[in-house]
Amino acid sequence: MPGIAQLAMATGFLLILIGFYGALTRRNLLRMIVAFTVAGTGVNVVIVSIGYMHGRTAPILDATLAASDAAARIIDPLPQALVLTAIVIGVGITALMLAYALRLYSQKRTLDIGRFTELKG
Amino acid sequence: MSGVDGLLLSPLLILATGLGAAFLLGLLHPRQSGVAYGLTLVALAWMAWIPARWLWAFVLQGAAPVEILTAGTPPPFAINLRFGLPEAALTLLVNLTGLLSAIHLKDVLLNQGRRAMAVLLVAVMALGGIILTRDMFNLFVFLELAVISTAGLVLLSDTHRPGLALGAGFKYLVVSQFISVFLLVGIIFAYHATGTLNIDGMAEAGLANVAALAFFLMFIAVVSELKPFPANGWALDIYESAPPAFSALFSAATGAAVLYAADKLLLIGGDAWLPMATAIGIVTFIAANLLALPQTHDRRLLGYSSVAQTGLVLMVLGQRDILGEATPFIAFGLLVSHAVAKAGLYWLSGLVQERRLTDWAALGRRPLLVFAFATFMAMLTGLPPFPGFYAKWELVHHLAGADRLVLLALVLLGALIEAGYLFRWFGYLLKREAPGGETAPCTPHKLVPVLAALAAGWALAWLWGDLFGRVNLLLALPLLFALAFLLLDWLPAWIKNTLAIAGLVAYFIMTWGEYDPMRLIFAIIFLIGGALTLLASYHAHGRRIGFYPAAMLMYAGMVMLIQATSAFEFFAAWELLTVGSYFLILRGKASEPHALSYILFSLGGAFLILAGFAIAAAAVPRLDLAATGALQLDLASLAQVAAPAAPWVFLLLAIGFMTKTAAIGVHIWLPGAHAEAETDVSPMVSGILLKAGLYGLMVLLLAMGKQQLHGVELTHALLWVAALTALLGNLMAVFQEDAKRLLAYSSIGQMGYAMFGLALMNHLGWLMALVFVINHYIYKSMLFLAVGGVAKRTGTREMYRMGGLIRLMPLSFIAVLIGIIALSGVPPLSGFGGRWIFYNAIMDSETRLPIVVLFLAGPVAFLYLFRLIYTIFLGQLKDELRRVKEAPFWIVLPQMIYVALLLVFALVPGLALRQVDAYLDRFFPDGGLRWEGGQITSQYGYWDPIAIMIVVGVIFTTLFLWLLFVNRRAQMVKQFNIVFSAERPYRPETTHFAWNFFAPYRKALGFLTQPLATNFWGAVTDLLHTAGDLGRRLYDGNGQTYAFHLLAFVIIAFFIGMGA
Repeated sequence: MPGIAQLAMATGFLLILIGFYGALTRRNLLRMIVAFTVAGTGVNVVIVSIGYMHGRTAPILDATLAASDAAARIIDPLPQALVLTAIVIGVGITALMLAYALRLYSQKRTLDIGRFTELKG
Repeated sequence: MSGVDGLLLSPLLILATGLGAAFLLGLLHPRQSGVAYGLTLVALAWMAWIPARWLWAFVLQGAAPVEILTAGTPPPFAINLRFGLPEAALTLLVNLTGLLSAIHLKDVLLNQGRRAMAVLLVAVMALGGIILTRDMFNLFVFLELAVISTAGLVLLSDTHRPGLALGAGFKYLVVSQFISVFLLVGIIFAYHATGTLNIDGMAEAGLANVAALAFFLMFIAVVSELKPFPANGWALDIYESAPPAFSALFSAATGAAVLYAADKLLLIGGDAWLPMATAIGIVTFIAANLLALPQTHDRRLLGYSSVAQTGLVLMVLGQRDILGEATPFIAFGLLVSHAVAKAGLYWLSGLVQERRLTDWAALGRRPLLVFAFATFMAMLTGLPPFPGFYAKWELVHHLAGADRLVLLALVLLGALIEAGYLFRWFGYLLKREAPGGETAPCTPHKLVPVLAALAAGWALAWLWGDLFGRVNLLLALPLLFALAFLLLDWLPAWIKNTLAIAGLVAYFIMTWGEYDPMRLIFAIIFLIGGALTLLASYHAHGRRIGFYPAAMLMYAGMVMLIQATSAFEFFAAWELLTVGSYFLILRGKASEPHALSYILFSLGGAFLILAGFAIAAAAVPRLDLAATGALQLDLASLAQVAAPAAPWVFLLLAIGFMTKTAAIGVHIWLPGAHAEAETDVSPMVSGILLKAGLYGLMVLLLAMGKQQLHGVELTHALLWVAALTALLGNLMAVFQEDAKRLLAYSSIGQMGYAMFGLALMNHLGWLMALVFVINHYIYKSMLFLAVGGVAKRTGTREMYRMGGLIRLMPLSFIAVLIGIIALSGVPPLSGFGGRWIFYNAIMDSETRLPIVVLFLAGPVAFLYLFRLIYTIFLGQLKDELRRVKEAPFWIVLPQMIYVALLLVFALVPGLALRQVDAYLDRFFPDGGLRWEGGQITSQYGYWDPIAIMIVVGVIFTTLFLWLLFVNRRAQMVKQFNIVFSAERPYRPETTHFAWNFFAPYRKALGFLTQPLATNFWGAVTDLLHTAGDLGRRLYDGNGQTYAFHLLAFVIIAFFIGMGA
């Protein structure tokens, strides 16, 4: 029986694939952006699932968890730190893409990616 | 070490300055643009100063690389950065590019205010971070920062062509989202497999073996940021639409930083992943260059070129297994050449208003900018003395040494295509009309970055020569002399001409003792002959900008060629003379296409020579490339090239040299190049330059002698080529209407004779070749000057428009008369000496059939020579030419000197030949001549030039007097003493006797002059263009298509990479 980590990872990859599919097939800029955030979420789930270790506790040092035996009892905190960073960056990129969508729309009154093809070849 | 430390600032300050200044900008009042701009510049300058100071410490003070630990903990528990020599060099490059681009972007930045400046600072800082970091996740963060700031800059600076850049920026973001997914997934699995995010830690843990897929994802993500073919449509759109200063940053700085990131990943991947880097690199290099061919938009073309150059460097990184210690020298050589030149060109494009390549003609009248363009072009195509040249030399040698010949051929092919579109562009720049005659506004802040790149280019040229360790070309006296004319170009032409002549003569006096008799002949022709030809240049008025640097570069190359003892020196000299002569030929009024064809054939030939030298160096037994670290191949050791490689080396070198002598098949550049050149340039490029090819063949044949390839003796094949060249060259000369083209084709035939003599491989054959070398120099220079003088006075080069000029231009007539007597080889002039030696030489030879072909060529020469003198000087004088005067003094003077020289050489050939005849005994002991008094004896007979001169003189005088006597009562018929028919034909020239002069011969032999070679090379060019055009259709402009390209690229790379 697959553990929770495997399940999470599978979900993460599924989200990534859904996101990629959406980004490649939806022609509306906003839908593409949403698709990318789905994929981004998928990546974050994958990262977290990698860091998960069965039967361990959260990496918070307090009264119940002494620093001395922390290494044996906590899950790996690093992937979670990475996810935090990745989320921040993801927000930045999403904001930037939305800004682009806004400017593009105001110039052409359309959100169809297929209409922004003046540059080619 | 400790003394050094005190002066150095922590490299972390580079990143901190960028971030801090960006933050400070936010505190300023929005309307204080000026202050914000000043702060930005100061911050960037400071960010450039820190690595510059470190670079100084690393190189000259022996400082050790530093590891920077953040959070006070060693990796893998905290992020660490490294700062060593490569990091210092790269951050300097990035930050300087950023600074100069900020200067160039002044208008945009002041207009957009502090936000744009902050984004620019963050972009530059992020690139620095990519270079410095040793942590994989940190690398991801900096890459994302670079993406965000890049897209942000595009968004903010979208004022140039509103909307276009926006679309491009969005496509970029779409693609980079895919990339970051790959990168993140790869990173987390790599962490899972190795327990560290540290790059060196991953390498130690053998990540590429433990979790190949994780590594693949990280690697391909970083490589995708390098804009590999075909996943690069988004990048091209940005290059095309963004402000040029921004494209400069994107091309030079981002490219350099990400390449370094790819290098770090290859460190993790190890040797197993090098082939993939190589494959992606070389495919990108070739494809991007091919796609650049049909481009007409300047910035898009530069974008393609950027992609190609990045691909090339990636390929070099992928060859690290064989390049070893030489990798940094080569990779950095190519990288800095690309970065400086590409940034320079993008900045330069800011001075051009319209975007078609032909619009660059606007720069054509600004010598400084033309010089800048030429410098950047030479850097990109790897011409000496720039870093790319040394890098190319080393790269090709290592590839040959490891027997990676396909890769070698692809590198050279791609480089040739690149040279093709760059030189074509340069032709537009110089020769096209500027639209409406307008020149772009040239404000200081747009000019400064260009000039800085120009200075950097030359400084790097010196540096790489120094690093190369053997020959620094920029210390070669002849080259320095030529370059000095760049600084003197403001002087009037006559002063420069005097300096040039004095320089050539002085250099000959300085060095004449160094040459053996054979080289002495070439030295005399190149230096003294060059000075003599330059006398004609006194005719030019004004300043004649650009003429002297080009001409002296050619002469410098030629003299360095005969002084060269190593293959490297030889090749460098060869490229210098090629480039110099290209600039010289390009000066002709209508010579744009011909100069292009010349440079492409010459560079193609040069690449064959380079490949030949490299393969030879690999095949000479004693050379242990890795151990000596030196790829020094003496020209003399060509003789020791071992068996299987030897004939191929011979073939490559021979074909390379024959592109310069215009052997049949690779001759098509010559007629246009020589005919369209300026009056005093034609003799230089014909009479003098062609000898460089012959000299190369001589060096080759002396060292390698007879070679067999698949049972064919290559010198025998050379005989055939030479004979056909002589015959067809002469035949094509016969059917020309243009006098200079006639002379040009005649040169092809003459070179055929000289090659034939060499290919005979006997004593007299070589002596004959040397006679041809001397003779051809004298009479072809003289004839080109004479015909050039006539063309100047009559305003046409078409012979049927001339006629009857004997009385008006008697001195030119004498020159042509003497010239054609000498050329045709009839007694008593020096051509006969050549013939006599030739007949003796073929008696010594075993071959017969090619000799028959060569004999056929003889009478054909009479036809065109007769046409030359008859249609120009004899016959009826044209009405409109009645007031024509003799050619200008300075054009006639050298002709008269040549006449004297020809007579002297005819009477006492021993002056020039005796020494060299004795010298040839070393190589061909049998069959020398005996020189006694005025008489010369071979084993078959004797020749007494003075007696012949007397005999011919007596016969001529007698007949002439007799003719005068019998014609004493003849009545002179005036020109209009006959009745012309009343009608005027539609095209008058078709009824002129001199038009289509040899029509019957054309009927009989015309099939031999079908332009087969022209058609063939035309078809090759068309094919390349068509391929490029087809490839362009991949890029349909849709962001989703580009994303799909990326996915396809990753999947294909995965299957090929993982399969292998």
